[in-house]
Amino acid sequence: MSSIFHLVQNENMKIYRRIGTWVMMGLVVAAVLVAAIFTNMNASDETTNWRTDAESAIQQSEETLKNSEGMPKTFKDSQERSIAVNEYRLDNDIPPLESDSIWSFMDSSTGVVSLISIFTIIIGAGVIASEYSWGTIKLLLIRPASRTKILASKFIATLLFALFSLVILYISSFIIGGLFLGFNAVAQPYLTYSGGEVSETSMAVHYIVEYALASVNLLMMVTFAFMLSSIFRSSSLAIGLAIFLMFTGSQLTFILSQYDWVKYILFANTDLSVYFDGSPLIESMTLGFSLITLLVYFIVFLFLSWLLFTKRDVAA
Amino acid sequence: MAVKPIVQIRDLTKVIGKKTIIDQLSFDVYPGEVFGFLGPNGAGKTTTIRMMVGLMRMTEGEVLIDGSSIKTDYENAIVKVGAIVENPEMYKFLTGYQNLVHYARMVNGVSKERIQEVIQLVGLKGRIHEKVKGYSLGMRQRLGLAQALLHRPKLLILDEPTNGLDPAGIREIRQYLRTLAREENVAIVVSSHLLSEIELMCDRIGIIQSGKMVDVQRVNEFVKNDQAVMVSFEVDPLEHAVHAVKANFPDCDIEQSDRKVTLKIEHELIPEVTAVLVEKGIRVYGIQSSVKTLEDVFLEVTGGEQVV
Repeated sequence: MSSIFHLVQNENMKIYRRIGTWVMMGLVVAAVLVAAIFTNMNASDETTNWRTDAESAIQQSEETLKNSEGMPKTFKDSQERSIAVNEYRLDNDIPPLESDSIWSFMDSSTGVVSLISIFTIIIGAGVIASEYSWGTIKLLLIRPASRTKILASKFIATLLFALFSLVILYISSFIIGGLFLGFNAVAQPYLTYSGGEVSETSMAVHYIVEYALASVNLLMMVTFAFMLSSIFRSSSLAIGLAIFLMFTGSQLTFILSQYDWVKYILFANTDLSVYFDGSPLIESMTLGFSLITLLVYFIVFLFLSWLLFTKRDVAA
Repeated sequence: MAVKPIVQIRDLTKVIGKKTIIDQLSFDVYPGEVFGFLGPNGAGKTTTIRMMVGLMRMTEGEVLIDGSSIKTDYENAIVKVGAIVENPEMYKFLTGYQNLVHYARMVNGVSKERIQEVIQLVGLKGRIHEKVKGYSLGMRQRLGLAQALLHRPKLLILDEPTNGLDPAGIREIRQYLRTLAREENVAIVVSSHLLSEIELMCDRIGIIQSGKMVDVQRVNEFVKNDQAVMVSFEVDPLEHAVHAVKANFPDCDIEQSDRKVTLKIEHELIPEVTAVLVEKGIRVYGIQSSVKTLEDVFLEVTGGEQVV
């Protein structure tokens, strides 16, 4: 009977009326600020001629390609890509990004996404468990709203928090980056290479995609923490376990990468950028395989959260 | 006249592991009455209330609220219920008002005016925009009552509603609940360990012990159905009086204190005992009959286990 919109509104109120939430937001902006200050300090003033650099890069790549008998295909592909992009630059007079331009700063600020992951894990783990520790779960559940709807509203509110933080990060790194490093590179396009063709896209869009890719790991770890919160009804356990796995997961899969079954482990699939720019952990893995694996994990996490939230008694 | 009960509880049973916590509990509560739910600690009061509001699943049995089943038609059943389960825990970092808005959003049709009305009703008007963090237990109790009343429920379930209130507050709440039952025909289920409270507030009482309903009766019957009352006679000389009573009423219990002889007799026998005493030339200074309190009955029914 109560609409999901109102329930999400309630969850939002409970998230944003707490000071801790705004401290997290403040830390995100502070992290960007610190990064900008360091980038500004280390910025080199020497200007190199990018045209000669590009020409020599093309030459070098061509040399390597000539002697690349027996080299893996991905390696040859990356060389061809480098040649195509550099030629396009020379033909259309598009210089590469300088290390102290606003867009390369945006590139490095995607690292702050992992900070947002931690904060969203904290929010997502607390959104269920806190109701139990505050005792408010009893008054929350005796309303004409099914437990499924209440759980859904909590998950949506958690994702909205992540989205909100990402928007804050994006905007603040654009503004702060611009203020410290100048906005003069803003109009520069991003060059993509696919199927032998180089095309221009907007840098702003490119970085939104970058953020989205960086958020896959965030989404999975937050859903994992959400599930733990529903199972254990304890936010500290959920936060601890989720953050621990977030930091050790990729190392774990790397250590185990000699086995083929490692591709079914969640952490082997969370970094989707390897399919666009790099090579996957295991040769046989494809983007489709990773997406399906992630989807299966996602559904299992949500199903377990739902099962334990809706079917269990609320005892003292 | 057959009034339709608002709450129908049938064979309510809860088994956790191998232990039967609640054993085939059945009772009805009618519109406009205050039903007291009484029992020693661990008897299963809170478990029963938790099952009534759907926080715990029932192993067997059925709870119907105004005809809708808590088990199979939860949303339609619970919308008629306002409740406080154990302590009224609120979001401490929100103000009282924000807390009420939170619960108002979860039901259809609670207007801003209704929120104001309820705030006025529970007497929180002056401090409703302060954070709950700074509320006293009594104020939290009032806020708890406010959230339970927002959607004009037909059934109010209150666990220890006067806990933490000062005597004036207790009286206020008590009178308010009575008015609510009388004028708005709301059924109220109150659990409490304060027996005197229940006695003053409730129309009917159900006593539960070890998960079983021991007795359900009207309050006045509860207290008065046992005809024998304790009667103290202030007499002189005491020895003669005891002797006379023993000779004439051999069946009754006699207790002596320094100037009084206390008998457990039926109300009707008081004049006869007095006549006997006067006949024997014993001076009678006073006659005092003490009605059994609910506490006496309660302890009797539950076998004198600790109440609190």
